[in-house]
Amino acid sequence: MSEKGHAQSGVRYGMVIDLDKCTGCGACSVACQAENNISFRPDESMKLRSITWMEIYPMNNGKDYPDYRFSYLPRPCMHCDSDHHSPCTFVCPVNATTRDENNGLVTHIYPRCIGCRYCMVACPYHARDFNWWDPTWPKQMESMLSPEVSTRMRGVVEKCTFCHHRLLKARSKAYVDGADPNKVTYTPACADACPTRAISFGNLMDASSEVGKLSKDPRAFRILEKLGTKPKVYYLSRHDWIKNLADNAIK
Amino acid sequence: MKFGRRAFLQIAAGAVGGTLLTPLPWKLADDSAIWSQNWSWRPSPERGEVTKAPAICTFCEGGCGLQARLVNGNRAILLEGNPANPVNEGGICPLGAAGLQFLYAPYRITQPLKQTKRRGDPSGLQPISWEEAQSELGKKLSTIRSDGKAHTVACITAARQSSMDDLLVQFFAAYGSPNLFKMPSQTDGMKTAAFLTTGSSGPFAFDLENAAYILSFGANLLDGGTAPNRAFAALRRLNKTPGQARIVQVESRCSITASKAGQWVPVNPGTEAALALGIAHLMVTGGAFDSEFVNANVFGFDDWTDAAGKKRQGFKSFITSNAFAPDETAKKTGLDAAKIRDLAKEFASQAKAVAVWGIGQPDNPNNTYHDLAFVALNALKGNLKADGLLSIAPDLPLADLPPGQKDIFAERAVEQKRLDLTKSKCPCPQNGLYGFFDALVSGPQYPIQVLMVHEANPAHSLPETKLVQSALDKVGTLVCFSSFMDETAAQADLILPNHTSLERYDDAKGIPGAPYGYYALGAPILKPLLKTKHTGEVVLALARDMAGSVAASLPWKTYEEYLKFRVDGLAKAQKGAVADKSGVVLATLKAGESPKPNFTDGADLWKKLKAGACWYDAPAGASFTKTASGKFELAVQAVQGKGAAPAEDQMFLPHFRPLMPSGKEAELPLLLVSYATPFIASGYLANPPFMNKLVPDYMLNGQDVFVDINPETAKTLGFARGDLVTLKTSQAETAVRINISPAARPGVVYIPRGLGHKAYDEYIQNKGVNANSLMEVQLDPISGNGTVWATRAQLRRA
Amino acid sequence: MNEEKKSGSGKALGMVFFLLGFIGALVLGWVVFPNLLYSQKAQPINFSHVAHQDNDCESCHSFRPDGTYTGIPTLDKCVECHETAQGNTESEKTLVEHYIAKKIEVPWKSYSWQPDNVFFSHAPHKGQGLKCVSCHRDVSKEEKVPLVRENRITGYSISTMKMTECEECHAQKGASNNCEICHK
Repeated sequence: MSEKGHAQSGVRYGMVIDLDKCTGCGACSVACQAENNISFRPDESMKLRSITWMEIYPMNNGKDYPDYRFSYLPRPCMHCDSDHHSPCTFVCPVNATTRDENNGLVTHIYPRCIGCRYCMVACPYHARDFNWWDPTWPKQMESMLSPEVSTRMRGVVEKCTFCHHRLLKARSKAYVDGADPNKVTYTPACADACPTRAISFGNLMDASSEVGKLSKDPRAFRILEKLGTKPKVYYLSRHDWIKNLADNAIK
Repeated sequence: MKFGRRAFLQIAAGAVGGTLLTPLPWKLADDSAIWSQNWSWRPSPERGEVTKAPAICTFCEGGCGLQARLVNGNRAILLEGNPANPVNEGGICPLGAAGLQFLYAPYRITQPLKQTKRRGDPSGLQPISWEEAQSELGKKLSTIRSDGKAHTVACITAARQSSMDDLLVQFFAAYGSPNLFKMPSQTDGMKTAAFLTTGSSGPFAFDLENAAYILSFGANLLDGGTAPNRAFAALRRLNKTPGQARIVQVESRCSITASKAGQWVPVNPGTEAALALGIAHLMVTGGAFDSEFVNANVFGFDDWTDAAGKKRQGFKSFITSNAFAPDETAKKTGLDAAKIRDLAKEFASQAKAVAVWGIGQPDNPNNTYHDLAFVALNALKGNLKADGLLSIAPDLPLADLPPGQKDIFAERAVEQKRLDLTKSKCPCPQNGLYGFFDALVSGPQYPIQVLMVHEANPAHSLPETKLVQSALDKVGTLVCFSSFMDETAAQADLILPNHTSLERYDDAKGIPGAPYGYYALGAPILKPLLKTKHTGEVVLALARDMAGSVAASLPWKTYEEYLKFRVDGLAKAQKGAVADKSGVVLATLKAGESPKPNFTDGADLWKKLKAGACWYDAPAGASFTKTASGKFELAVQAVQGKGAAPAEDQMFLPHFRPLMPSGKEAELPLLLVSYATPFIASGYLANPPFMNKLVPDYMLNGQDVFVDINPETAKTLGFARGDLVTLKTSQAETAVRINISPAARPGVVYIPRGLGHKAYDEYIQNKGVNANSLMEVQLDPISGNGTVWATRAQLRRA
Repeated sequence: MNEEKKSGSGKALGMVFFLLGFIGALVLGWVVFPNLLYSQKAQPINFSHVAHQDNDCESCHSFRPDGTYTGIPTLDKCVECHETAQGNTESEKTLVEHYIAKKIEVPWKSYSWQPDNVFFSHAPHKGQGLKCVSCHRDVSKEEKVPLVRENRITGYSISTMKMTECEECHAQKGASNNCEICHK
């Protein structure tokens, strides 16, 4: 972790999710599970024990029929860009979770994690999940596991990485092609999958990029912005009730 | 010298000192740490080259292009959307994204099985070889046929958009049985309505891509229906356009579509058609309709005379009556009269407005008269013009199958009436699956000796489960071509497991509800994992073994050869083009203006299709040359059929006539409506484990399903959230939990579809209740289709 | 109480015992232990790098278009030349008759196998001008592939590079030492 907080690098990967386009179908969450070897159990109705990097939260306007409306909010890790550290990286006693100041990605190294779960407590977004059980798959489905992401073990925390293995692969390709590895673009599995194209991903510091523009949109907001966590995930909505709910913890 | 304690300590001290100067302790500590980090019992995914292979998605009928990621060419690790495909443009729905969990499902049937004990006894299902299985079925079919009883062999298939559909039709025609049925779909209703009004055989199609205003009468646009990608595209486009461009959803429940729509119009369940007619009333009385189109191309707007010379009321005088005035419509629908006026004004004034219904619903079709009401609204808008927003799905120029040859057995058997038609007298018979079940249960005119079920799970996925089960029980031999041990396969006498769609040649001919021509081919992405066989190959082999006219009607050696034959026809037609790179925009295609072919011959087209490029063509528009009047018929003369003319004039006209659910209001005071959710697969496929994570805990918790009721209903009944109560309908009684939601209309109970499986594995079974077991089916009097909208219900404390 | 005095010979004897233990431990730790710790496994068949020197290294060990590295080539590569035997060695005979004929991949053992949680890409290292021999053994004169020595506790090969070595070089060269640069 850098002591400087922000590095001088011109790359800050971020995401913009347009809730006016999002129908909450869950394709992002499923694609994420498939991409990242996320384990599952026969009963997934206990949501506090369920491992989901991209969680689909329901929200509604609190009104009665027929003025009632609801929406879904897909929530990846916010890869908080707060000064010096993200809430989770600050509390990790073993440096298992850190933020790369070259690109802003907050990642978690499983074998290093001691399972203390301080980071889960520190995260205001519930973005982190704990492996209460050994991850197991039906024997046949072990064939579906991707070699590009390591499987976890019981007793460690895991969370969305913005598919950083895709970034690493894109950088490798840039080296081979003789391109600048620091200028590569890539898309995480969720953004690739989204059938309504509600999820955009890219370099927030590049004002000409899609996310650069959308994050400045008048509809843009972030969740619990008042905490000063500086999430790198922006949301778009034209509904005030959705924006208000996004900041409901602090009045 | 003696070797005592002191000497021992001296050696030990030396050993300790020495050891500290060797790598041993440090190495051991380090290695133990490393060992502790690598849990050997966790699976370690095999590494290797990651490649991509094109595929098509057949998990619903949407025809999306996929690409699979493979490791070393033999292990599929991810399904993604194919960015070059103009339908999904790289996007994918949750079911598609979870699709590999069907390929690698533990509940797949690994090889042919034969029931040796009582039907349904899992211990009696014994493995047999493919030779045995095929010869067993072949002999049975041949014997029945040579006895002149070919009509006693029936089949239920879910294939609608694949060439398997035509192959089965060809096989049954040559074999000599009229009893080939399809799993019900809204397309059945779309076909009936299109046939009655335009005389076409194809179903209606909607130009969602070019509409600026989509008035949806309960269509499942965004709630996890079939072919969702066009609706997704419409949502993202209409949200961008300022002004009045929007989706308006007419539905009793606040669904996702309703919530995301620009406007939600909450109506009493089943009264969508009453609203459509109310809007039509205002358009006609206000003169706010396309009079040019109506005058030139519409029959039955004004009063008319039938073939027998009898004067009949036309649509104009019928709809302008006070029965459809805003106040009356308000009473039926539960809306304000002012709201109805606003809607009618908006719809009438929008240049590119279309009324849609029934799309996205893989389930049972609507009441025909209600569909006709929605069609009438489009006719008033002039949407059936050549470049209009409503058209007939184009007939693809795929090679037609050779004319079926019929020998004496086939001819004799085909003279027999289809089993559902032996009882029902509907004037425009469509897919009579429920009539077939009814006939079977109530004492059929002839028995069904063999029922073949192809890639369908009727025992679970059809409403009125009780009826379906009793019908299945009446069948002599149940033969299943399922890849999975589902509820129907579990009770089969013989199982010939199919490859999953990713292991076989398959195709998608058109997309339900889409106006443009579309054809996509799927080649296997990897070798079959198990001892399964393409059902198409099995059918071809059965025909070959039967020799004679049956073999001559199905001359292809393999399914691949059959598809090549069909694609060859497409190439010969020299119409349409292949989308071999991204950027093809189907929305810009104009009716009748085919894109220039960019392929040479059949082999070239096959090569391009196999590489993942789809074929597309311009919309066909609508033509009315096949109707009795040669015009679009608002008064549908075709209902006259061959029998006597209907007495009432309104029997020719779109009108509101709900098929009332059985049961008394006093005993069953509520209405039960089942709904589809994107989080739960229903139909042939059971929910994959990935999607279980999406199911909210207020829909399913452990084994308990939650029904949605309005806070007002809950208050009246004295229920709190999470209460375990009994839900009773005319069909069944079951325990459910209460979810209080303002999305629910007062007096209506909503239950999610796709739960309540008893078969499969621990990831699927015993979760919730099968909504289909509670629902009631009513036969549509025009088409004989089984329709479902609501069932009378009661909720009481358990 | 023991009245024995510490005589000079007693001290010397003590020293002998001490040295006995000391030297014994050194032998154990430096000679016996490493041999005990590492198993010695032979490759399924011999591969002579010398015999293949008419080819460039890149014709077998190359980058794929997606930036990944082939590492040990797969059977497809062998088939290009060895559809039928080129020489008369026992290994080639096994290759042709057992592996190529039956389309079975040769189960080569890797000398530098990294665990699942490590992401290593050859591309940036090659890009920095590192030579193969900076990390791998020189195979230019190798006629017989060495035995693979596998750690019995960790399962790693003896020549698998450890994190400290990676970090050290990254620090020296000014490359990033962020965790996720090398972990997945």
